[in-house]
Amino acid sequence: MKPSPRSSALAGAVLWVILALPPVRHVLESELTPQVLVQIPLLALAGALLARLFSRRLDTVMRLWNDGGIPGLLLASVAGMTWMLPRLMDASINEEGYALAKFLTVPLLVGVPVALSWPKSGFVTRGVLLLEVVATAFRMGWLYLVSPERLCSNYLLGDQQRLGKLLVAIGVVIALVLAWQLIWGRVRVESPQ
Amino acid sequence: MASLTLYPAEERLEGGSRVTFDLYMITAVTLFVVMMLIGLTMRMTQATWLNVNPALFYRLLSMHGAGMVGTASIATTAVMWFFLRKYVGLHLWAFVANYVLFMLGALCVIVSIFFGGYGALWTFLYPLPVHGMGLWSNNASALFLVGYLLIGVGSLVFYLDAAAAIIKVYGNLGRGLGLQWLFGGEINPDHPKAVVASSMVIIANSLGILAGSVVLVMNLVNIYYPQITLNALFAKNLTYWFGHMYINATIYMGVMAVYELLPRYTGRPYPISRPFIWSWAASCLFVIVVYPHHLMIDFAQPRWLTIMGQVVSWSAGFPVFCVTAYGAMTNIHRSGIRWTMPSRLMALSMFGWAAGIVPAILDGTVRNNLVMHNTQWVPGHFHFYLLLGVLSMVLALIYHVLGNRANAVPNSGLDRTGFFVYLIGGLIFTLAFLSAGHQSVARRMATHLPEWTLTDKVGSVGATLVVLGMLYYAIRIIVGLLGRPVVIDTSHAHPADTAG
Ligand code: HEM
Repeated sequence: MKPSPRSSALAGAVLWVILALPPVRHVLESELTPQVLVQIPLLALAGALLARLFSRRLDTVMRLWNDGGIPGLLLASVAGMTWMLPRLMDASINEEGYALAKFLTVPLLVGVPVALSWPKSGFVTRGVLLLEVVATAFRMGWLYLVSPERLCSNYLLGDQQRLGKLLVAIGVVIALVLAWQLIWGRVRVESPQ
Repeated sequence: MASLTLYPAEERLEGGSRVTFDLYMITAVTLFVVMMLIGLTMRMTQATWLNVNPALFYRLLSMHGAGMVGTASIATTAVMWFFLRKYVGLHLWAFVANYVLFMLGALCVIVSIFFGGYGALWTFLYPLPVHGMGLWSNNASALFLVGYLLIGVGSLVFYLDAAAAIIKVYGNLGRGLGLQWLFGGEINPDHPKAVVASSMVIIANSLGILAGSVVLVMNLVNIYYPQITLNALFAKNLTYWFGHMYINATIYMGVMAVYELLPRYTGRPYPISRPFIWSWAASCLFVIVVYPHHLMIDFAQPRWLTIMGQVVSWSAGFPVFCVTAYGAMTNIHRSGIRWTMPSRLMALSMFGWAAGIVPAILDGTVRNNLVMHNTQWVPGHFHFYLLLGVLSMVLALIYHVLGNRANAVPNSGLDRTGFFVYLIGGLIFTLAFLSAGHQSVARRMATHLPEWTLTDKVGSVGATLVVLGMLYYAIRIIVGLLGRPVVIDTSHAHPADTAG
């Protein structure tokens, strides 16, 4: 059974608050890998859960401004790319202003638009986005692996390289799952809502 | 099973579909002529008949390589679209988006070469793009790479739309490929070969484009952040994975024209079979892993990759090729076929593919590659199957469409002369390359040693004939496509009734 919009939103808000708790922040930000692979994705998830509360209310706006989900997904991609920049991840630890920006923009500009746009997008848009996710995982992984210097001054080179390896592995896994799904799996290709 | 009706109603092009198809094909034949003229200029420069300075030569070589590969790709994409749309619901917007993105990408490539001086060839091998040595800037290289990215996204949009359409009808791409009949079960005789081939192309080429998009962006990163250096061998692996698959896909898209049209001209069914399904499944896998045959000389390459490249080279193109060539020959044999332009071009395409694949396999063998690597043997084999194989497949479809519009299968004396000139020219041109390769003449050289120029001169004569033949085709095609169609219902006509 799908949880009601209210309970989803509540879960989202709770997740958001938990992630903002100083001890949790400390654990997740003490190394680069958990910040990139746990904290930021969970912040986006919190936003996505919250979005269910107002997805109905935004119907007209969505119809006018989010045709096929493409503008929303573009917005999320741009915001997501911003938080891939090592300099910003660094700043979000050193300066409270950047930390606040991360805690607001990742849920609201990545999680919410993805949740509102994904159901509206067609197979092609989703396909391009997913392939871009895989390609980005490879590119970022490669970058972290070969960068001769520390890209974030708060983290060690070894941490950076571990993240690189994990990103490449994640890229491989997503690519294999997608290929498996398309070749042997059951894929529903319905028209977007 | 493909229809035996010469011009089935469901293939008729109307409205937006017609405009888009015509745009693709007119663009393709025009670009082919321009790129061939560039090729002729290069060949005559090697022959010392023209004096083009080396900096310009490498720009022309970059334009010719990228331009020909791109043009072959959009032309064969149009072939795939033409047939696949009969079986599954393709969206015209995706086909149009591919065209628009291709043109934008081509514009970037042209500007980067002719205004930015880019000359690091179509293979953009790292780190050459950032070593312009004053001939081109890093920005020019970046623009070239962005052009490729745009072209790649265009192809991807088209493939994803095609994938969605195939999945909607058949459940998944595996069923589109016919994998459910590999080991048993009664094969549905109506399962279209175009769907099998399209499924294979979508799987293989999407993976290639993914690899390409990674290595292209990493090259861009390196251009603007030179402190991030890439592992050149790894970058080369990805680049060839992408490039090899992209150009290979053109033959697999183009061959749909033979599957669909040949039976109509022989009047004989060309049914799907288990060997056919096996061959496409095998080639789908092999084509993905065959690229290391481009890296046999790279001694630092892991040994197992080189061995895989060698072993798979012997088998990658073979299954589909054998099944197709054998199938085509048995379809033609004693069918009483009447030779007209489309059927003639299809037979030529089978010959071009067959004859081109042999020197390719020879070169894909480590022992031979030690001697043949980067000699003109390589342009010899790929010009063989691109010029005589792939282009003939595309031309066969266009001539077929012209026949539909004019309500008479094209076969005029001029057409036959054009065909003959193209064929003879093509043979002289490609055999001259192979002969030069046999003498170890290096490829990709602006200036040749005096001992090498004999094959250059012979090649230039052949190339001139090819250009003349192609110029004739292009004019004939553009006039034919832009002309008014003859409106008579021909949906039940057989070739014998209409050949003129
Ligand atoms: C009249 C027809 C043509 C002529 C005169 C011509 C000429 C040439 C010449 C002189 C080269 C350089 C050879 C060398 O490395 O020494 C070349 C390379 C090449 N050609 Fe053609 N060509 C023709 C048609 C085609 C066609 C139809 C295609 C593909 C559909 C094609 C694709 C290529 C490619 C991919 C290269 C490799 C570029 C590189 O090495 O970076 N060509 N061609």
